[in-house]
Amino acid sequence: MKHSFIALIEDKCTSCMLCVRECPAWCIHLDSHTVDVTEEGARRPKKVNVLDSFEIDYSLCMYCGVCIDVCPFDALAWDEHRALVTTNREDMLLGIEELGPSGSS
Amino acid sequence: MPRSFTWEKVEPADWRSTIEELREKGFTFFDFLTGVDRENMDGKQACEVVAHLATKDLSDSHFISTQVLGELPSITDLIPAAQWHERECAEMFGIQFTGGSAKPLLRHENLGRPPLRKSTVLAARVLTPWPGGAEPEIKEDGRKVGNASRRRQRPPGVPENWRQP
Amino acid sequence: MTRYALTSDPSVSVEVVSASLACCTLELQAALNSGALIQVSEGGTGPSVIVIAGTVTDALVPSVLELIDSYPGTKVMSFGACATSGGPYWDSPPVSKGIDQFVEVAAYVAGCPPRPDAFIQAIQELSLNRAS
Repeated sequence: MKHSFIALIEDKCTSCMLCVRECPAWCIHLDSHTVDVTEEGARRPKKVNVLDSFEIDYSLCMYCGVCIDVCPFDALAWDEHRALVTTNREDMLLGIEELGPSGSS
Repeated sequence: MPRSFTWEKVEPADWRSTIEELREKGFTFFDFLTGVDRENMDGKQACEVVAHLATKDLSDSHFISTQVLGELPSITDLIPAAQWHERECAEMFGIQFTGGSAKPLLRHENLGRPPLRKSTVLAARVLTPWPGGAEPEIKEDGRKVGNASRRRQRPPGVPENWRQP
Repeated sequence: MTRYALTSDPSVSVEVVSASLACCTLELQAALNSGALIQVSEGGTGPSVIVIAGTVTDALVPSVLELIDSYPGTKVMSFGACATSGGPYWDSPPVSKGIDQFVEVAAYVAGCPPRPDAFIQAIQELSLNRAS
Protein backbone atom coordinates (compact mmCIF):
# COMPACT_ATOMS: atom_id res chain seq x y z
CA MET A 1 0.00 0.00 0.00
CA LYS A 2 1.35 3.38 -0.96
CA HIS A 3 0.35 6.59 0.73
CA SER A 4 -0.15 8.24 -2.59
CA PHE A 5 -3.68 9.57 -2.75
CA ILE A 6 -6.83 9.39 -0.66
CA ALA A 7 -9.85 8.38 -2.70
CA LEU A 8 -13.53 8.71 -1.84
CA ILE A 9 -15.98 5.92 -2.58
CA GLU A 10 -19.04 8.11 -2.73
CA ASP A 11 -21.67 5.37 -2.41
CA LYS A 12 -20.30 4.31 0.96
CA CYS A 13 -20.23 7.78 2.52
CA THR A 14 -23.00 8.47 5.03
CA SER A 15 -21.96 12.09 5.75
CA CYS A 16 -21.26 11.17 9.36
CA MET A 17 -18.58 13.89 9.59
CA LEU A 18 -16.13 11.68 11.50
CA CYS A 19 -13.32 12.24 8.99
CA VAL A 20 -13.92 15.99 8.91
CA ARG A 21 -13.75 16.22 12.69
CA GLU A 22 -10.69 14.04 13.11
CA CYS A 23 -8.62 15.63 10.32
CA PRO A 24 -5.68 17.38 12.03
CA ALA A 25 -5.10 19.64 9.04
CA TRP A 26 -8.78 20.62 8.76
CA CYS A 27 -8.53 19.89 5.04
CA ILE A 28 -11.79 17.99 4.52
CA HIS A 29 -15.00 19.89 3.85
CA LEU A 30 -18.30 18.08 3.74
CA ASP A 31 -21.77 19.36 3.08
CA SER A 32 -24.92 17.31 3.35
CA HIS A 33 -28.63 17.46 4.05
CA THR A 34 -31.18 15.04 5.43
CA VAL A 35 -34.22 13.65 3.68
CA ASP A 36 -37.12 11.57 4.93
CA VAL A 37 -37.24 8.07 3.56
CA THR A 38 -40.32 5.98 4.25
CA GLU A 39 -39.63 2.29 4.11
CA GLU A 40 -42.42 -0.12 3.43
CA GLY A 41 -44.06 -1.26 6.64
CA ALA A 42 -42.28 1.34 8.74
CA ARG A 43 -44.38 3.44 11.05
CA ARG A 44 -42.35 6.63 10.71
CA PRO A 45 -40.13 7.98 7.96
CA LYS A 46 -36.39 7.55 8.46
CA LYS A 47 -33.88 10.41 8.32
CA VAL A 48 -31.18 9.72 5.77
CA ASN A 49 -28.13 11.91 5.12
CA VAL A 50 -27.46 12.84 1.53
CA LEU A 51 -23.96 13.92 0.56
CA ASP A 52 -23.96 17.24 -1.29
CA SER A 53 -20.28 17.95 -1.52
CA PHE A 54 -17.03 16.46 -0.30
CA GLU A 55 -13.73 18.21 -0.76
CA ILE A 56 -10.18 17.43 0.25
CA ASP A 57 -7.73 20.31 0.08
CA TYR A 58 -4.59 18.53 -1.05
CA SER A 59 -2.49 21.61 -0.49
CA LEU A 60 -3.03 21.01 3.25
CA CYS A 61 -3.52 17.25 3.50
CA MET A 62 -0.69 15.65 5.46
CA TYR A 63 -1.41 12.10 4.27
CA CYS A 64 -1.71 10.86 7.83
CA GLY A 65 -4.60 8.56 6.96
CA VAL A 66 -6.59 9.36 10.09
CA CYS A 67 -9.70 9.93 7.94
CA ILE A 68 -9.27 6.48 6.39
CA ASP A 69 -8.83 4.94 9.83
CA VAL A 70 -11.86 6.56 11.42
CA CYS A 71 -14.28 6.02 8.54
CA PRO A 72 -16.68 3.35 9.81
CA PHE A 73 -17.95 2.62 6.29
CA ASP A 74 -14.61 2.40 4.42
CA ALA A 75 -15.65 5.24 2.18
CA LEU A 76 -12.10 6.57 2.12
CA ALA A 77 -9.15 4.51 0.94
CA TRP A 78 -5.55 4.83 -0.17
CA ASP A 79 -5.30 4.89 -3.93
CA GLU A 80 -1.78 3.94 -4.88
CA HIS A 81 -2.22 4.50 -8.57
CA ARG A 82 -2.56 8.23 -8.37
CA ALA A 83 -0.36 11.12 -7.40
CA LEU A 84 -1.46 14.72 -7.50
CA VAL A 85 0.57 17.30 -9.39
CA THR A 86 -0.99 20.59 -10.41
CA THR A 87 0.11 23.82 -11.96
CA ASN A 88 -2.05 25.99 -9.78
CA ARG A 89 -3.02 25.82 -6.17
CA GLU A 90 -6.78 26.04 -6.67
CA ASP A 91 -6.65 22.73 -8.55
CA MET A 92 -5.55 21.01 -5.36
CA LEU A 93 -9.03 21.33 -3.92
CA LEU A 94 -10.65 18.15 -5.17
CA GLY A 95 -14.37 17.41 -5.10
CA ILE A 96 -16.42 14.21 -5.25
CA GLU A 97 -15.78 13.64 -8.96
CA GLU A 98 -12.00 14.03 -8.81
CA LEU A 99 -11.72 12.04 -5.61
CA GLY A 100 -13.21 8.89 -7.08
CA PRO A 101 -10.92 5.85 -7.07
CA SER A 102 -8.81 5.35 -10.18
CA GLY A 103 -10.45 1.98 -10.88
CA SER A 104 -7.31 -0.07 -11.42
CA SER A 105 -7.33 -1.48 -7.92
CA MET B 1 20.56 -5.05 34.04
CA PRO B 2 17.98 -4.08 36.66
CA ARG B 3 17.30 -0.38 36.80
CA SER B 4 15.75 1.57 39.57
CA PHE B 5 13.70 4.69 39.03
CA THR B 6 13.00 7.29 41.66
CA TRP B 7 10.61 10.19 41.33
CA GLU B 8 10.92 13.11 43.66
CA LYS B 9 9.00 16.36 43.92
CA VAL B 10 10.84 19.28 45.43
CA GLU B 11 10.14 22.93 46.15
CA PRO B 12 11.76 25.41 43.74
CA ALA B 13 13.91 26.64 46.61
CA ASP B 14 15.39 23.15 46.99
CA TRP B 15 15.95 22.65 43.25
CA ARG B 16 19.65 23.44 43.16
CA SER B 17 20.53 21.80 46.45
CA THR B 18 18.73 18.57 45.50
CA ILE B 19 20.59 18.35 42.22
CA GLU B 20 23.87 19.12 43.91
CA GLU B 21 23.27 16.37 46.47
CA LEU B 22 22.35 13.88 43.78
CA ARG B 23 25.48 14.67 41.87
CA GLU B 24 27.57 14.08 44.93
CA LYS B 25 25.78 10.76 45.44
CA GLY B 26 27.03 9.62 42.05
CA PHE B 27 24.21 10.74 39.77
CA THR B 28 26.65 12.31 37.36
CA PHE B 29 24.89 11.53 34.08
CA PHE B 30 22.58 14.37 33.15
CA ASP B 31 19.98 13.12 30.68
CA PHE B 32 17.55 15.96 30.20
CA LEU B 33 15.63 18.84 31.67
CA THR B 34 12.27 19.86 30.30
CA GLY B 35 8.96 21.49 31.08
CA VAL B 36 5.57 19.82 31.44
CA ASP B 37 2.57 22.11 31.30
CA ARG B 38 -0.10 20.53 33.44
CA GLU B 39 -2.65 23.25 33.09
CA ASN B 40 -4.16 24.42 36.35
CA MET B 41 -2.11 21.97 38.38
CA ASP B 42 -3.40 22.29 41.94
CA GLY B 43 -5.31 25.36 40.91
CA LYS B 44 -2.16 27.23 39.93
CA GLN B 45 -1.01 28.33 36.49
CA ALA B 46 2.26 26.61 37.21
CA CYS B 47 4.56 24.74 34.89
CA GLU B 48 6.40 21.66 36.00
CA VAL B 49 10.12 21.37 35.34
CA VAL B 50 11.54 17.86 35.29
CA ALA B 51 15.19 16.84 35.28
CA HIS B 52 16.54 13.35 34.85
CA LEU B 53 19.85 12.38 36.41
CA ALA B 54 21.34 8.91 36.40
CA THR B 55 24.39 7.10 37.61
CA LYS B 56 27.13 6.62 35.06
CA ASP B 57 26.26 2.96 34.44
CA LEU B 58 22.56 3.99 34.11
CA SER B 59 21.52 1.48 36.77
CA ASP B 60 19.94 4.13 38.93
CA SER B 61 17.68 6.87 37.60
CA HIS B 62 16.43 9.87 39.47
CA PHE B 63 13.74 12.22 38.20
CA ILE B 64 13.20 15.38 40.12
CA SER B 65 10.40 17.75 39.40
CA THR B 66 9.24 21.07 40.72
CA GLN B 67 6.33 23.41 40.13
CA VAL B 68 7.48 26.74 38.79
CA LEU B 69 5.59 30.01 38.66
CA GLY B 70 7.92 31.83 36.28
CA GLU B 71 11.40 31.60 37.78
CA LEU B 72 13.80 28.85 38.73
CA PRO B 73 17.49 29.06 39.64
CA SER B 74 19.73 27.81 36.86
CA ILE B 75 21.86 24.70 37.36
CA THR B 76 24.32 25.39 34.56
CA ASP B 77 27.16 26.08 37.00
CA LEU B 78 26.61 22.60 38.48
CA ILE B 79 25.90 20.87 35.16
CA PRO B 80 27.11 22.88 32.15
CA ALA B 81 25.31 20.50 29.76
CA ALA B 82 21.99 21.67 31.17
CA GLN B 83 22.35 25.00 29.43
CA TRP B 84 20.79 23.87 26.13
CA HIS B 85 17.90 22.29 28.00
CA GLU B 86 17.33 25.37 30.10
CA ARG B 87 17.40 27.62 27.07
CA GLU B 88 14.92 25.39 25.28
CA CYS B 89 12.72 25.20 28.34
CA ALA B 90 12.88 28.97 28.70
CA GLU B 91 11.75 29.76 25.17
CA MET B 92 9.21 26.95 24.87
CA PHE B 93 7.64 27.16 28.33
CA GLY B 94 8.43 30.73 29.33
CA ILE B 95 10.41 29.84 32.43
CA GLN B 96 13.23 32.13 33.47
CA PHE B 97 16.34 30.39 34.70
CA THR B 98 17.99 32.93 36.94
CA GLY B 99 21.74 32.92 36.60
CA GLY B 100 21.59 30.97 33.34
CA SER B 101 21.92 32.03 29.73
CA ALA B 102 19.15 34.22 28.36
CA LYS B 103 20.08 33.49 24.77
CA PRO B 104 17.24 31.82 22.80
CA LEU B 105 18.07 28.39 21.44
CA LEU B 106 15.78 27.93 18.43
CA ARG B 107 13.32 30.78 18.30
CA HIS B 108 13.86 34.33 17.26
CA GLU B 109 13.57 36.79 20.07
CA ASN B 110 10.27 38.48 20.82
CA LEU B 111 8.19 36.03 18.86
CA GLY B 112 5.24 36.10 21.20
CA ARG B 113 4.13 33.72 23.87
CA PRO B 114 5.97 30.47 24.66
CA PRO B 115 4.58 27.99 22.12
CA LEU B 116 4.42 24.88 24.29
CA ARG B 117 2.26 26.42 27.00
CA LYS B 118 -1.34 25.30 26.80
CA SER B 119 -2.48 28.85 27.41
CA THR B 120 -0.81 29.95 24.16
CA VAL B 121 -3.58 30.49 21.67
CA LEU B 122 -2.97 29.50 18.07
CA ALA B 123 -4.90 32.33 16.49
CA ALA B 124 -5.26 30.43 13.22
CA ARG B 125 -7.40 27.85 15.00
CA VAL B 126 -9.78 30.55 16.16
CA LEU B 127 -9.88 32.49 12.91
CA THR B 128 -10.24 29.50 10.60
CA PRO B 129 -13.76 28.10 10.59
CA TRP B 130 -13.59 24.49 11.69
CA PRO B 131 -15.05 22.32 8.92
CA GLY B 132 -16.16 19.81 11.58
CA GLY B 133 -18.56 22.37 13.03
CA ALA B 134 -21.04 21.76 10.22
CA GLU B 135 -23.94 19.43 10.84
CA PRO B 136 -25.58 17.02 8.43
CA GLU B 137 -28.93 17.60 10.14
CA ILE B 138 -31.33 20.30 9.10
CA LYS B 139 -33.57 22.45 11.15
CA GLU B 140 -37.28 22.11 10.61
CA ASP B 141 -39.44 24.93 11.94
CA GLY B 142 -36.61 25.98 14.23
CA ARG B 143 -36.50 22.52 15.80
CA LYS B 144 -33.30 20.52 15.64
CA VAL B 145 -33.65 17.25 13.85
CA GLY B 146 -31.57 14.24 14.78
CA ASN B 147 -28.92 14.26 17.46
CA ALA B 148 -27.29 17.54 16.55
CA SER B 149 -27.18 18.88 20.09
CA ARG B 150 -25.23 15.89 21.39
CA ARG B 151 -22.46 16.40 18.90
CA ARG B 152 -19.08 17.74 19.80
CA GLN B 153 -18.84 21.28 18.47
CA ARG B 154 -15.33 22.26 19.48
CA PRO B 155 -12.33 21.32 17.38
CA PRO B 156 -9.97 18.85 19.07
CA GLY B 157 -7.32 20.49 21.22
CA VAL B 158 -9.21 23.73 21.64
CA PRO B 159 -10.02 24.60 25.26
CA GLU B 160 -13.64 25.06 26.21
CA ASN B 161 -13.36 28.65 27.29
CA TRP B 162 -11.82 29.89 24.07
CA ARG B 163 -13.43 32.92 22.65
CA GLN B 164 -15.16 32.40 19.38
CA PRO B 165 -15.01 34.95 16.56
CA MET C 1 22.68 22.00 -10.19
CA THR C 2 22.46 18.52 -11.64
CA ARG C 3 20.76 17.35 -14.80
CA TYR C 4 18.52 14.31 -14.57
CA ALA C 5 16.81 12.43 -17.37
CA LEU C 6 13.94 9.96 -17.18
CA THR C 7 15.23 6.41 -17.32
CA SER C 8 12.23 5.46 -19.43
CA ASP C 9 12.63 8.40 -21.81
CA PRO C 10 16.10 10.03 -21.75
CA SER C 11 14.91 12.79 -24.07
CA VAL C 12 13.02 14.27 -21.11
CA SER C 13 15.52 15.92 -18.85
CA VAL C 14 15.55 18.62 -16.19
CA GLU C 15 18.13 20.45 -14.20
CA VAL C 16 17.34 20.20 -10.51
CA VAL C 17 18.31 22.60 -7.75
CA SER C 18 17.18 21.47 -4.34
CA ALA C 19 16.27 24.04 -1.71
CA SER C 20 16.63 21.75 1.26
CA LEU C 21 14.58 23.13 4.12
CA ALA C 22 13.12 20.21 6.05
CA CYS C 23 12.26 16.55 5.92
CA CYS C 24 10.95 16.66 2.33
CA THR C 25 14.57 17.04 1.28
CA LEU C 26 15.13 13.38 2.09
CA GLU C 27 12.03 12.47 0.14
CA LEU C 28 13.34 14.46 -2.79
CA GLN C 29 16.64 12.61 -2.61
CA ALA C 30 14.68 9.36 -2.51
CA ALA C 31 12.83 10.42 -5.64
CA LEU C 32 16.03 11.46 -7.43
CA ASN C 33 17.64 8.13 -6.59
CA SER C 34 14.59 5.93 -7.04
CA GLY C 35 15.87 4.54 -10.32
CA ALA C 36 13.29 6.37 -12.40
CA LEU C 37 15.84 9.12 -13.07
CA ILE C 38 19.41 8.98 -14.26
CA GLN C 39 22.04 11.64 -13.89
CA VAL C 40 23.25 12.96 -17.20
CA SER C 41 26.35 15.04 -17.52
CA GLU C 42 25.85 16.89 -20.79
CA GLY C 43 23.29 18.10 -23.26
CA GLY C 44 19.59 18.17 -22.75
CA THR C 45 17.38 21.15 -23.29
CA GLY C 46 14.81 20.52 -20.59
CA PRO C 47 13.92 23.22 -18.09
CA SER C 48 15.72 24.05 -14.89
CA VAL C 49 13.71 23.46 -11.76
CA ILE C 50 14.32 24.70 -8.26
CA VAL C 51 12.58 22.40 -5.85
CA ILE C 52 11.39 23.96 -2.59
CA ALA C 53 11.36 20.92 -0.37
CA GLY C 54 10.28 21.51 3.19
CA THR C 55 8.80 24.01 5.58
CA VAL C 56 9.39 27.65 4.74
CA THR C 57 9.29 29.87 7.80
CA ASP C 58 8.80 33.61 7.55
CA ALA C 59 12.35 34.06 8.79
CA LEU C 60 13.67 31.91 5.94
CA VAL C 61 11.71 33.54 3.13
CA PRO C 62 14.38 36.14 2.23
CA SER C 63 17.04 33.43 1.92
CA VAL C 64 14.79 31.26 -0.19
CA LEU C 65 13.98 34.17 -2.49
CA GLU C 66 17.67 35.00 -2.78
CA LEU C 67 18.38 31.42 -3.78
CA ILE C 68 15.62 31.50 -6.39
CA ASP C 69 16.88 34.84 -7.76
CA SER C 70 20.36 33.44 -8.14
CA TYR C 71 19.04 31.02 -10.77
CA PRO C 72 17.29 33.30 -13.28
CA GLY C 73 14.80 31.58 -15.56
CA THR C 74 14.44 28.63 -13.25
CA LYS C 75 10.98 27.24 -12.60
CA VAL C 76 9.85 26.80 -9.03
CA MET C 77 8.37 23.55 -7.83
CA SER C 78 6.53 23.45 -4.53
CA PHE C 79 7.31 19.99 -3.21
CA GLY C 80 5.03 18.77 -0.45
CA ALA C 81 2.31 20.29 1.70
CA CYS C 82 4.59 22.59 3.74
CA ALA C 83 5.96 24.51 0.80
CA THR C 84 2.51 24.69 -0.76
CA SER C 85 0.40 25.88 2.16
CA GLY C 86 2.21 25.36 5.45
CA GLY C 87 0.82 21.83 5.54
CA PRO C 88 0.74 20.29 9.03
CA TYR C 89 1.97 23.64 10.36
CA TRP C 90 -0.95 25.60 8.91
CA ASP C 91 -1.82 26.90 12.39
CA SER C 92 1.72 27.80 13.39
CA PRO C 93 2.52 31.55 13.50
CA PRO C 94 6.16 31.44 12.26
CA VAL C 95 5.45 29.26 9.21
CA SER C 96 4.57 30.93 5.90
CA LYS C 97 1.43 29.67 4.31
CA GLY C 98 2.81 28.77 0.92
CA ILE C 99 5.71 30.01 -1.17
CA ASP C 100 3.30 31.05 -3.92
CA GLN C 101 2.75 34.17 -1.85
CA PHE C 102 6.25 35.26 -2.83
CA VAL C 103 7.13 33.61 -6.15
CA GLU C 104 5.34 32.16 -9.11
CA VAL C 105 5.12 28.40 -8.74
CA ALA C 106 5.17 26.25 -11.87
CA ALA C 107 4.18 22.97 -10.25
CA TYR C 108 2.66 21.92 -6.97
CA VAL C 109 3.35 18.39 -5.79
CA ALA C 110 0.83 17.18 -3.20
CA GLY C 111 1.82 14.88 -0.40
CA CYS C 112 3.29 14.83 3.03
CA PRO C 113 5.66 13.60 1.85
CA PRO C 114 5.03 13.28 -1.90
CA ARG C 115 5.83 9.90 -3.31
CA PRO C 116 8.73 9.57 -5.77
CA ASP C 117 6.20 8.90 -8.55
CA ALA C 118 4.63 12.28 -7.87
CA PHE C 119 7.97 14.00 -8.41
CA ILE C 120 8.58 12.11 -11.65
CA GLN C 121 5.08 13.08 -12.78
CA ALA C 122 5.80 16.73 -11.97
CA ILE C 123 9.01 16.64 -13.99
CA GLN C 124 7.17 15.14 -16.95
CA GLU C 125 4.52 17.81 -16.78
CA LEU C 126 7.04 20.62 -16.54
CA SER C 127 8.87 19.26 -19.59
CA LEU C 128 5.62 18.95 -21.53
CA ASN C 129 4.59 22.48 -20.65
CA ARG C 130 7.83 23.76 -22.06
CA ALA C 131 7.39 21.81 -25.28
CA SER C 132 3.86 23.05 -25.88
